[in-house]
Amino acid sequence: MSAHALIVEPFQTLAFMRAALVACLALTLTNGAVGTLLVLRRMSLDGDVLGHAVMPGAAIGFLYAGPSPTWLSLGGLASGLVVAALAELITGGRARRDAGLVAFYLVALSLGVTLVAWRGSNVDVVRVLFGSVLAIDQRALLQIAASSSFIVLAIAALYRPLAVGAFDPAFLRAVGTRAPYRMVFAALVVLTLVASFQAFGTLLAVGPLLLPAAAARCWGLGVAASMALATGFGLAASVAGLLASYHGNLPSGPAIVLAAGLLFGISLVIAGAWRRLAPLIGRGDA
Amino acid sequence: MLHDVTVRYGRRIALEAVSGEFVAGSLTAVVGANGAGKSTLLAAIAGVVRLAGGRVSCAARQRLAYLPQIAAIDRDHPLTVSELITLGGWREFGVFRSPGSALRARVAEVAETVGLAERLGRSIGEVSMGELQRALFARLILQDAAVILLDEPFAAVDPQTMSLLLDQVTRWHQEGRTVIAALHDLDVVQARFPSTLVLARRCVAWGPTEVALRAMAA
Repeated sequence: MSAHALIVEPFQTLAFMRAALVACLALTLTNGAVGTLLVLRRMSLDGDVLGHAVMPGAAIGFLYAGPSPTWLSLGGLASGLVVAALAELITGGRARRDAGLVAFYLVALSLGVTLVAWRGSNVDVVRVLFGSVLAIDQRALLQIAASSSFIVLAIAALYRPLAVGAFDPAFLRAVGTRAPYRMVFAALVVLTLVASFQAFGTLLAVGPLLLPAAAARCWGLGVAASMALATGFGLAASVAGLLASYHGNLPSGPAIVLAAGLLFGISLVIAGAWRRLAPLIGRGDA
Repeated sequence: MLHDVTVRYGRRIALEAVSGEFVAGSLTAVVGANGAGKSTLLAAIAGVVRLAGGRVSCAARQRLAYLPQIAAIDRDHPLTVSELITLGGWREFGVFRSPGSALRARVAEVAETVGLAERLGRSIGEVSMGELQRALFARLILQDAAVILLDEPFAAVDPQTMSLLLDQVTRWHQEGRTVIAALHDLDVVQARFPSTLVLARRCVAWGPTEVALRAMAA
C-alpha cells in the first residue's frame, strides 16, 4: 500500500473522515492549551470529574430534545458549571479533595447513564459515553469551531494569571488580583469538555485533553512551549487514531485516545532516559 | 491594624479574636508553637484566607507583598529564576502588558543583590532551596512594597543565605517599610527583631521583643 493510499486517500475520498479530522484539529488547539494548564495546576483529577459532570446535563438535554447536538451541549455545559461550582464550594480550600471529587464523578456519571437509559436505547448510552467522532455533521463542526475559538482567545487573554496561579496562587491574591481565576479556569475546562463531548463522549473527552499535555510535560519545557508541543502531539494522535480506525476497522474515539496514550508512553520513556543520560554526556548544564 | 481577627479551617479555629496594630515602619516577629496561627495570621493580612470574623485594615493594601512558606511554591513548574523575579513588577505590567526593558534591567540588578546573577536562566526546579528563597526575596525587592509579610523565610536555607536574607530584612526596616515575619528561631528573633507578637491561636503577648518573649516563657 502506498503512503498516499495509507494517509491521504481516506481523507480525500470520505467526507465524514474529513469532518472528523477538522473537528479533531479544532479540539486539539483548545486541548493543548487547557490540558497543559490542567496538568501544571495538578488538576488532572478535576478534569476527569468535570468530564463526567457534563453527563447529567447532557442526559437531560437528551430527554428533552433527543440526540440534538445543541441541547446535549447546553445541558452538558449547565451541569458541568453547576458541578464545578459545587465541587469548589464543598472541597475548595481542603488539602485532601480527592474523595469529594471522586464522589461527584461517580454520582454524575451514574445519574447521567440512568437518565439516558430511562428514555433511550443502549446505542444512545454508548454515544453519550464514547461520542461519535465519525458522525460529526456541519452544524456540530461549527459548534466545535466556535467553542474552540472562544476558549483559545480566552486562554490567550488570561494566559499570565492562569500560568502564575498554577505555581503560586497566593501571589496573585497578595498583589490585589481579585478576579476568581480558579473558577474562570474551571469554566473554561467545562467548555472544552462540552466542545469535545460529541466527538469523544463524557468518558473519553478527558483523554485528548490530558494525554497530549501529560506527554508534552515530560519534556520539561516552558509553559508556552509545552502548550505548543501538546497541540502537536494532539494533532499527531488525531491523524494516527483516525487512520488506525479506518484501516483497522477500530472505534475512532478510543483509537485517537490510544494513540495519545502511546505518545505519552514514548515521551515518558525517552525523556526519562534523556534526563539520566544528559549528565553523562556533558549536557546536564545545557 | 487587626480587629478581632478570627480564622477557621472547617470546624478548627486557627486564629481567634486577635487585635492590635503593627506600627508603620516596624519590624515584628510573629512567634508561637506549631499550629499557633502564625502563617494563618500572615495569610489573613495578605487577604489570602477568608476571615471568619473581625477585620484587617491596611492603608497600604495596594503596596503589600507576601512571601508564603517555600513549600507552597510548586518547584516543578516550568519557570526560570529570571521569570520568577520579574513577577515582582506585576503592578507595572499586570495581566496584559509585557515587562519593559527598564524592568528587565532592574531584575538583573536585584538578582545581583541576592547573588543570583549567574542563575537567572535556570529553572526554579534546578536551583537549591536557598537559591529559590533568594529569588523570592529578589521578587519582593522588586515589588517595592510598604508592608512585607514573610512566612518562615529562613526555613531550609543555609547559614550564608540566612545571613544575606536577614541583612535584606534589616535594610527594608531601615528604609521605613513595615516588615512582619513568622519565625521559629527565637535566637534570631532576639538578635534582629525589635518587636514580637506571641501567638497561641490568640494573642499571648505583643510588644518589645524582650518583654514579649518573657511573657511567652512565663
